[in-house]
Amino acid sequence: MSTMSTNFVINASNLTLSYSDEDIIKDASFSVKKGEFVFITGPSGSGKSTLLKSFYGQLKPKSGTVVVGGLDMSDITEGKLQELRTHLGIIFQDYKLINEWTVKKNAVLPLMIAGYSVDVQNTQAERLLKHVRLSEYKDRYPLELSGGEQQRVGVARALAKNPFLILADEPTGNLDEYSSNVIWELMENACQQLEATVLVVTHKIPSMFSHRYRHFIIEHKGVYEVH
Amino acid sequence: MKFIRNHLAFIFPMMAILLGVEFFLVFDRTTNSYEKGLKEGYSMFVVTKKPFKVEEFKTLNKHISESLEIDKDRLASQISDGMSQSNAREILKELPYFYNLKLDGYLKSSALEGIKEDLMSSKDIKKVETFGNSYSDSYRLFTFIKFILNVFIIFMSLISLFLIIKQMEIWRYAHKERMQIMKVFGAPLMLRSGVLFRVALIDAIISSFLTSGAFLLLKYKLASDNHIEILTQKQNLLFQSSDFLILIVTSILIVLVSVSLVVFGNEE
Repeated sequence: MSTMSTNFVINASNLTLSYSDEDIIKDASFSVKKGEFVFITGPSGSGKSTLLKSFYGQLKPKSGTVVVGGLDMSDITEGKLQELRTHLGIIFQDYKLINEWTVKKNAVLPLMIAGYSVDVQNTQAERLLKHVRLSEYKDRYPLELSGGEQQRVGVARALAKNPFLILADEPTGNLDEYSSNVIWELMENACQQLEATVLVVTHKIPSMFSHRYRHFIIEHKGVYEVH
Repeated sequence: MKFIRNHLAFIFPMMAILLGVEFFLVFDRTTNSYEKGLKEGYSMFVVTKKPFKVEEFKTLNKHISESLEIDKDRLASQISDGMSQSNAREILKELPYFYNLKLDGYLKSSALEGIKEDLMSSKDIKKVETFGNSYSDSYRLFTFIKFILNVFIIFMSLISLFLIIKQMEIWRYAHKERMQIMKVFGAPLMLRSGVLFRVALIDAIISSFLTSGAFLLLKYKLASDNHIEILTQKQNLLFQSSDFLILIVTSILIVLVSVSLVVFGNEE
């Protein structure tokens, strides 16, 4: 990844994002460095998820630029975008697990896409599920798990290929306090141990969060850093 | 139940196309065999004033491939039965020469008339009989039925292909979420669509086996049990082992085309 050659993992400059000609984010400029833990907060409908989508190429900028891992998302080719996405870990509020697949298979989806052998996938599945404390559930299906457990599978999947950037969209939005704390703990560990950059979109920063972090807030379509 | 219904919704149209292909193959073989039979069994009857060699006939028309002289002595002996030897000799002397002419292929009535005209242009040929009408009537009916069947097969195949593509759309919709998740994690299009190709290929192979089974049943069981002579007489034309290969290849091609149409047509 071109990320390795630059200190910035994300660099947005005069970024404007819109849906059906309506601007959601306007003229936002900010950057995120390697290894940082970043929270982006804002009221419902403020454009948090929209901003996050622009980081993994789901939404192209209307104007301005956003560079992720050294790649300009404004004019990225389909091939480069696919390549970039294999180096990202993405966590969704609604987990987005494949319900017909077992927990083990879901966890190693990025490895399967990257073409790793079944042996490697199995070994990594054991490691990942142990890390998220779901080893005993490896042969179960997502719908047999609680919301918190499903999100842990989502975290395991996000960490599967040691991503340089983890993007999380309201990862604890549907979870109780205990499950939420487990998820935050796993994400702190990912930032510390993998030296991954973690960017979390959430409506509220958890009170027990102990890791050093940066905080951006979205207000009136702008993105501002809170010091 | 829903699972079975989903698969049958693909297997039935695919079978309709494969049945059409097999009917086409069978009818094509039958027509060819019939045409060969007509060609081999057919001959023109020619009466000449002098003996003719096949080369001389060929110079008159290039479609003539063979000439067989009808034994004059035998004819004369039949005619002169009971007559005196001198009368019989006289009859033999007066008799013209008779030939059966074979052609190099099956020709239409108009072409037969052309040959007749070419032959009659020779002053040494007295009479030519083509038997054109009886020769071509049944063949014309046969080729007309073949044409109608081919039109029907094409029409049925188009509708079936349309149904297959519709079923593919349903499957794509059913697997849409899975494909979207895989896309977010960087899976290329072919990997994302792998599930569609896999399911469709399995159903295509099942369809090929079922169609082959139906024709084998018709060939070895139904035809003889129901005493359908036309089928039992030409049993070897009904279903040949190479047909199975053709059906499999056809079904796989249909799957590749229809899945690609659906997958690439809906790629955002």
